[in-house]
Amino acid sequence: MGTIAPFIKTKKNRSLIWFLLPITVYLLVFFLYPVIYDIYISFFSFKLGEKAVFVGLGNYQAMLADFQYLGSLKTTLVFVISTVSAELLLGMIIALLLNNEHRLAEGIRTIILIPTVFTPLVAGLVWKALYHPDLGMFTYYLRQFGLDIGRGLTVERYSALFSVVLVDVWEWTPLMVIILLAGLKSIPSEPYEAAMLDGASPVQVFFMITLPLLRPTAVVALLIRTLDALKIFDIIWAITGGGPGTVTTVANLRIYEVGMQHLRIGYAAALSNVLLVAGVVVGIIFIQLLYQDLFKEKKV
Amino acid sequence: MNRKLMTGMAALMLLSATLLFAAGKQESAAPAASADKAPAVLPYKGVELRFAVMADQFGDYTKVLAKNFEEKTGAKVSVDILGYVELYQKLTQDFATKSAQYDLSTVDIVWSGEFAKNAWTVDLTSWTNRDKAEIDYDDILPVTWTLGNWEGKQMSFPMAGYANSLIYRKDLFEDAKEKANFKAKYGYELAPPVTMDQLRDIATFFTRPDQNLYGLVANGARGSAVAQDWMEYMRGFGGQVVDKKGNVSVDSPESLASLKFFVDIFDKWAPKGAIGYWWDDRETAYRTGQAVMQSSWSIARAGYENKEISLVAGKTGIAVTPRVAGSKALYGFGGWGVGINASSSAAKQEAAWAFIKYITGKEAQKAWMLHDGAPIRKSTLKDPELNKAMPWLADILTVFENGDGDYRPRDPNATQIQSILGLRVNQAITHELTAEQAIKEAAKEIGALY
Repeated sequence: MGTIAPFIKTKKNRSLIWFLLPITVYLLVFFLYPVIYDIYISFFSFKLGEKAVFVGLGNYQAMLADFQYLGSLKTTLVFVISTVSAELLLGMIIALLLNNEHRLAEGIRTIILIPTVFTPLVAGLVWKALYHPDLGMFTYYLRQFGLDIGRGLTVERYSALFSVVLVDVWEWTPLMVIILLAGLKSIPSEPYEAAMLDGASPVQVFFMITLPLLRPTAVVALLIRTLDALKIFDIIWAITGGGPGTVTTVANLRIYEVGMQHLRIGYAAALSNVLLVAGVVVGIIFIQLLYQDLFKEKKV
Repeated sequence: MNRKLMTGMAALMLLSATLLFAAGKQESAAPAASADKAPAVLPYKGVELRFAVMADQFGDYTKVLAKNFEEKTGAKVSVDILGYVELYQKLTQDFATKSAQYDLSTVDIVWSGEFAKNAWTVDLTSWTNRDKAEIDYDDILPVTWTLGNWEGKQMSFPMAGYANSLIYRKDLFEDAKEKANFKAKYGYELAPPVTMDQLRDIATFFTRPDQNLYGLVANGARGSAVAQDWMEYMRGFGGQVVDKKGNVSVDSPESLASLKFFVDIFDKWAPKGAIGYWWDDRETAYRTGQAVMQSSWSIARAGYENKEISLVAGKTGIAVTPRVAGSKALYGFGGWGVGINASSSAAKQEAAWAFIKYITGKEAQKAWMLHDGAPIRKSTLKDPELNKAMPWLADILTVFENGDGDYRPRDPNATQIQSILGLRVNQAITHELTAEQAIKEAAKEIGALY
């Protein structure tokens, strides 16, 4: 505050306020207002088209008995952990393989981004067709290879969640690759040269130099993907619609059903607030990790 | 950059944003103003209506009818074709916020109670009574009024009536070798099943996975797909979700028996992946020759003869759906009404009513039937020319004359009931729950809604 105030006070820079105004208005209207209204409405029993009735914490109490929502939180957690860890691991391996100036690597770097440019809903619909239990191409080849996939990957309870995790990993691993590759490119060459002179093995170089220096980039990539995975809706909606049973019903699917199909807006707001808090907590943890890394770097 | 220039740029940005919002408002206000100046020859010239239409087979020709209406009256009707879930979502949001984005919409039979309770669409009772002669009221089949009627209010006008029918492979049923083999095995003639026991026998007889042939197929995907298909079998077994007195009766012995039969479809007679099927997947299984029988809506019937999308053209028969032996002959009726947004202006509502009378009139309905339309009129179903082109219309008339439009709940809780059944029935067919557990849970959850 102490540094900003005199800056704004100078006549020349006061006009900059005008430039901040649009984004401030945007944030107030499209971010702050919805969040405040969302919290406010979560204290009401409010069905679209009917009068809202104040129920205090009633919606939050009801949530504790909502087996579908509680189950969906567990499913969301499994989905986030499995997708993000698989994407990080695969992303790291591919980024290391592509971290050279060979022409082939350059070509692959461009092609690999293709899944990421798909709209997730479109990707979901394409995969739904590939996964079709009787007519899907993917299903056909899996069966040709002699794999026992029961009545189909997306319709059997034991494989449905795996099938949507696979699509998410297919779509978002390239993003992880690109971010990590940018991080690898920014690592200076001196530590590697010093390590070579000291006779360090490639494994030692990776764990002692590459990984620590890549950590801030990896944390940013993890933050982006974790928040995205927490909000997952489109891919699952298109492929399984939350089924079979509740096996692939993640939190957002349950919130959608309650809010947009049953029109119980107050209750849906309460459910979405829990997800919002989860997102904020995850965000804070990752940002703390990031600051720790930056602080350490300064000390060095 | 000097201060004046920067201030000017910021002001310009704000001005552009304001103009953008203002322009949107002007556009929507314009038609009502010009409607007042409409000349007498084209009574609704200048009026613009938006019509949200379900993405069913009839959707495309609705655009042609809209164009014809514009030529006759001057009113421009823009047709938006939307999927089932999207349509319901857009409409309910539009109605609840009174934003009048759509002036007209197709209304599913099961939405009748909810729309009436919230007065989202115009009650058409008085207009219907006033224009009885013009619409030839007696020509409209009585069961079709369930497309929008709720507690004496007509929230939508009958537009597209669907008969739930048994669709079967006529060529296989008439094959001499198949007939002989069937008779030898079951002791009676192979013919379209009338009872559930016959349906079971025939489904078993034709299920031959080694030939990629399956006796009977139904929707299994969680949600409205599995809920709606199961309710059709439940009706055949004499069950009801909510009885006529308003009591939850989904856990009756009849309903339980129907759910056990429904589970058998997926375990014994349907293609492997049917537990994940939506309507289009079920239709594909039939049209590609995989499935021998299915219970389906009559709107899909004409498509089986279209060689571009069907491998069973000329091989399909249609019959009334089977029911438990000795029960009353009532058949599943459904389809779409057309409603007018209660928040639209009076001028638009008036033009919308004229449009409804036009597209549900005899002339338009006949043209519509030849282009994947669905009937509501006796004269349409008895029309000699149409019967020649579509010999199955007589079967549809039988269903309509003995139709039951209430076997799927139409009350204000219909959407939530469908969600509950969509999950519980799916859990039964995927064996996450037994049929008894699924029915019990569904009854408990539906009971909590009342």
